[in-house]
Amino acid sequence: MLLNLLVLAPFAAAVLMVATSKEDPKSSSRLAFIFGLAFVALSVKLIVAGNTATDPIEWFRIPGCKGPVYYYLYSHGLGAWMVFLSTVLSLVALVSARVTSCQNYRNFAIGIFALMGAMNGTFLAADAVLFFFFFEAMVIPAAILIAAYGGKEKAKAAMTFAIYTLVGSAPMMVALWFLLTKADNSLLLSLAVVLQDLPAETQFLVLASFLLAFIVKTPIFPFHGWQAITYAEAPAPLSAILTGAMSKAGVFGFIAWILPIFPLEMSAVSAMMWLGLVTAVYGALMALRANDGKKLLAFSSMSHLGIAVAGVFSLSEAMLPAVLVLLVAHGICAGAQFFLMGVAERMAGTRELDKLGALSGKAPVFGTLFGALGVMSLAVPGTAGFVGEFTVLLSLWDMAPFAALVMGFSMILSAAYVLRFIQKVIFGKSENEYAAGPRLSGLEGASFGVMAVFLLVVGFHPALVTDSLHLFDEGAVEQMSDAGKDVPAETDEDMDEEDEGLPQAMTPEEIDQLDSSLKANGFTDEERKSLITQVVGAEAALALESRVKAGLAESQDSAKTNDEALNKEASND
Amino acid sequence: MTNLPLWLIPLFPLVATLLLGTIAVVSSGSKKGPAEGIVGGLAVIFPAMSFAVVAILAFGMPEAGIRETLCNWIDIPLFRADIGFLFDGLSRIMLLFVTGIGTLIAMYSIGYMHGDRGFARFFAYINLFLFSMIVLVLSDSLLLTFLGWEGVGLCSYLLIGFWNKDLANCKAANKAFIVNRVGDIGFLLGMLCLVTVGGSGILNYDALVAFVGMIVNGGHVDLVLPVLSLTCILFFIGCTGKSAQIPLLTWLPDAMAGPTPVSALIHAATMVTSGVYLVARLSSLFVICPDVLNVVLVVGALTAFWAAFAGLFQNDIKKVLAYSTISQLGYMFMAAGVSAFDASIFHVFTHAFFKASLFLGAGAVIHALGGEQDMRKMGGLIKKTPVTACVMIFAFFAIIGFPGFAGFWSKDLILEHIYTDCNWVFTGTWLADGAVPMNKIFYVVGLFTAVVTAVYMGRLIIMTFFGSYRGSKESEAHIHEAPAVMLIPMIVLTFGSVFGGYLWADSIGITFFRDSLASVLGAAEAFDPAVRLSPEIFLDEFVPRTGAHVNPVIFAALGTAAALLGMFIAWKGWGKARIPEIPKGASSAPEGYAAGWTFLWDYVHGFFVKCVFVAAWICDMVVDKILQAVQWTVGAIVTILGDGATVFQVRKVRLQVAFSILGVAALVLVVLLTGGIV
Repeated sequence: MLLNLLVLAPFAAAVLMVATSKEDPKSSSRLAFIFGLAFVALSVKLIVAGNTATDPIEWFRIPGCKGPVYYYLYSHGLGAWMVFLSTVLSLVALVSARVTSCQNYRNFAIGIFALMGAMNGTFLAADAVLFFFFFEAMVIPAAILIAAYGGKEKAKAAMTFAIYTLVGSAPMMVALWFLLTKADNSLLLSLAVVLQDLPAETQFLVLASFLLAFIVKTPIFPFHGWQAITYAEAPAPLSAILTGAMSKAGVFGFIAWILPIFPLEMSAVSAMMWLGLVTAVYGALMALRANDGKKLLAFSSMSHLGIAVAGVFSLSEAMLPAVLVLLVAHGICAGAQFFLMGVAERMAGTRELDKLGALSGKAPVFGTLFGALGVMSLAVPGTAGFVGEFTVLLSLWDMAPFAALVMGFSMILSAAYVLRFIQKVIFGKSENEYAAGPRLSGLEGASFGVMAVFLLVVGFHPALVTDSLHLFDEGAVEQMSDAGKDVPAETDEDMDEEDEGLPQAMTPEEIDQLDSSLKANGFTDEERKSLITQVVGAEAALALESRVKAGLAESQDSAKTNDEALNKEASND
Repeated sequence: MTNLPLWLIPLFPLVATLLLGTIAVVSSGSKKGPAEGIVGGLAVIFPAMSFAVVAILAFGMPEAGIRETLCNWIDIPLFRADIGFLFDGLSRIMLLFVTGIGTLIAMYSIGYMHGDRGFARFFAYINLFLFSMIVLVLSDSLLLTFLGWEGVGLCSYLLIGFWNKDLANCKAANKAFIVNRVGDIGFLLGMLCLVTVGGSGILNYDALVAFVGMIVNGGHVDLVLPVLSLTCILFFIGCTGKSAQIPLLTWLPDAMAGPTPVSALIHAATMVTSGVYLVARLSSLFVICPDVLNVVLVVGALTAFWAAFAGLFQNDIKKVLAYSTISQLGYMFMAAGVSAFDASIFHVFTHAFFKASLFLGAGAVIHALGGEQDMRKMGGLIKKTPVTACVMIFAFFAIIGFPGFAGFWSKDLILEHIYTDCNWVFTGTWLADGAVPMNKIFYVVGLFTAVVTAVYMGRLIIMTFFGSYRGSKESEAHIHEAPAVMLIPMIVLTFGSVFGGYLWADSIGITFFRDSLASVLGAAEAFDPAVRLSPEIFLDEFVPRTGAHVNPVIFAALGTAAALLGMFIAWKGWGKARIPEIPKGASSAPEGYAAGWTFLWDYVHGFFVKCVFVAAWICDMVVDKILQAVQWTVGAIVTILGDGATVFQVRKVRLQVAFSILGVAALVLVVLLTGGIV
């Protein structure tokens, strides 16, 4: 119910917003605020609820594919936190836009809600087709919002953004369809099983098409062409959502889809890691030269997400919590920075760094928030960014010390560009008199302040975030599988409906972990593959059991065929 | 009373930060600003309460120290860290003077910052600094120390750029932060090195000492020596950043852009010594990597020597003191380099007093002259500001090592240790056929630097307080002695710089200071790599420590001679010299060869910064443009193709029917190939 609400209710909210008047931004902003607040509350509840899943509902069948497409949502720590980012940033965007874009606030809110629904769907989808559906759906409201509310070059920005990202994920669509013609259904496990059987070249092609979609969305060098102009031209509240939540869909895709289903070669892994690091350094260097405040933030965002992707592909045990904290920290921090830059633009009428300045003297509260959030983006210990970056650094160091050194270099550069940014915007003497735009409103200031405090709290108590991953723990997995094997009757009582998706949600992560540890122990690829297939088989059996109990006939079939396929594979070996 | 919890110590400044920060933000809109009495009172009382807690704990501290784990901080697979505090001999000394001097300087600042628009903000930063510094020295693990380490760097940034209307100040602040960041990355990577060797638990100091003891006793040093040496080097890079040693020292002279009390507190007495503290804290690790200790020794010696000369060339009174600080920090690292960690901490202790008095004195002078910092426009101030002059002259005697004053004892100790403890030997070099023990070379460098120290400090005192006033006539009338709230801290610190040395007066048999540190540093100091580690590796480079006893009186006599000689040279050079009148608005920066010497490392830094900018330029103007061109080309091709496709959009029935048939055929084919519509 919670999951359905988070995915579908935003669309309902968007429809309901139509009821409010275009001419009366006050009433529509009130309604939007209430909705936004409700979604934040729901997302918090989702995080607290732990791993949950809905019942899979058969949605439709794609011609040529064996199995149906399910409407099937599940939530684990990672997805739940991403949903949290999307709802929180949407709420603050709604608050901030109240002051900025008073004309036709209603339509802005409609767009934001539609975007939020699509993002939530992306982060919660358990079915690959469903995921892809939402992944693409995100682009549309975002592009429309840019085209309607953007800056001077809004049309160009909207086109670049829409076409670049849609084209980027087109190969993924084809690859996905190809997989579906072979797989029993479009759930993670079946895809993973199918991929095991494919010849290496095909596997690589499929992998490349999947990677491309996520690389473009994140974005990773050299596919970042859409990013700077989009973030710069989009209205600041939207830029905040784009960088804070939507760009996370790329990194999320790497973690939740690439790692579990692909039997990754070491070369691909390290190539991705280095690509992430190149992005980190490249983004930082570009930020160093940027003269447009929002472009600077866009490149800074690119740099941080590069670090996150490098962290993902460091594949150490600490990877998942490290990247999760980094993503949450970056989402909140970069989001807040974009909002603040929007306020600066509003106050000064320009976002060119050379023309800005001395805003801390004019608006001390704004200056304090701007400076504080800027410093927090530097990963100063005690803020969430530090926990994220330090643990990612640790993870990279495990993989290759030189990689950690490169990341250290990008951290030094980040200090250089962020401090320059702070200095240019809030310090110094202002050269020209600004047209007095609307200043920081009380509600805005309070919400940015809350975001800053949240970063500090996570910085000192990261368990708040990392604990939601505890079900990925080996111990928990062992417990689950023990319980499944030894006392099946007991599991019946223990596993309530919500936990059904659990074995399935977890297994791919487990496989991945196993894979990396096997890799670390020097197993050859063949050995590893066969070992993993065995494990997958065992896990599939487990999933089968839980499914049988729930009485899901269709997935029972598919799992059975899975099993058969596995047995065949085993006998081949 | 000794069961006070340790977290009380950092709590007080933290509460003060929150209070004052709130006051600063709330009052920022008002015209007048908050009442200075209340703000100043809060800003002094909280650090004072911290000091009181430290003092109480210090008296009742058990020999082994007090340990307290507050809560868990990070807990993920592969890494786990707690927030915990360790109060032992070393942190006791550090905390005593950090909170003590911090309180005094906060008090002084009430007078100095009087009437400033950012009064409350200033004290919020100062208290945040004290919080970070306390965490730095009180933490029981490297990770938490790093929190303080970056925290003090951040506060340093905030306070250097305190007057942020002036972009030069902001640039100095940025520079300080970025240069420190370079060192901080060294610190971070050093921690990762340690984690690789011993897991995340090893970041705890107790665990680290136990680990090192284990590998030394087990004879496994050879196995881990490369990693540990790398670790030590990385940590030392962190120290060079924070403690302004070669090559990361350029930020400290620029940091003088901040208010003078900040220079006294952060850039002289406390923060910059945290590098020395870290080396002492990790002494057990450093001593098993003797090569790294040699690096520390060489870097310290070079820095001390270089900065002393740079100090000689400065006209700005605060810049002289900045270079002097760098030079004194060099002494401390020299002591650490010969594994005389207690002597280095002792110098940290005495230096905190006399350098803080010097800076506060300089601040009083600047305050009296209405912001003038160029010594060429001062002179004869002893008549106008006698108390300030006395404070600075006493501190002057302390820093040059005049017998009986604090600096005499600590500097003498360092020189003595360099001579007796340096067991590094150069073999078969061009220097000589046989083995060259390095102790004499470094001793001479240290002694010579002591002479230069006396010269530039003598120059400072003479140019500021003696002769006749060289400023403009109208400004002369305004010169006034500082108010009592500034003078009292100065006088208290002067007592420290006169008598502080008697805590460890080796020549007259007082070793209280050493004894109080012995439980922490004693084991590491007694460690002799030439004896304890595998001799076949080290005997070429090291001699076992000689038992030969040199009479300490000789060292004392030579040190005194150096101080006297330096004073004599200063008196000869500047006592009677006429300093030419300088034009109005002229820069106080050194020129010519002096500029070359002073800005040597700025040039080096400039080269690296240039490299980064060139790389950024290439990214921006070359790589990105190429990518955009590719993107544009693809777009253009698609557009052209689209235009071409319009050819088919014509009213020709046959063509259109043919297309339709083709389309249906293709669809059927697809459906057939993929197994039909389900």
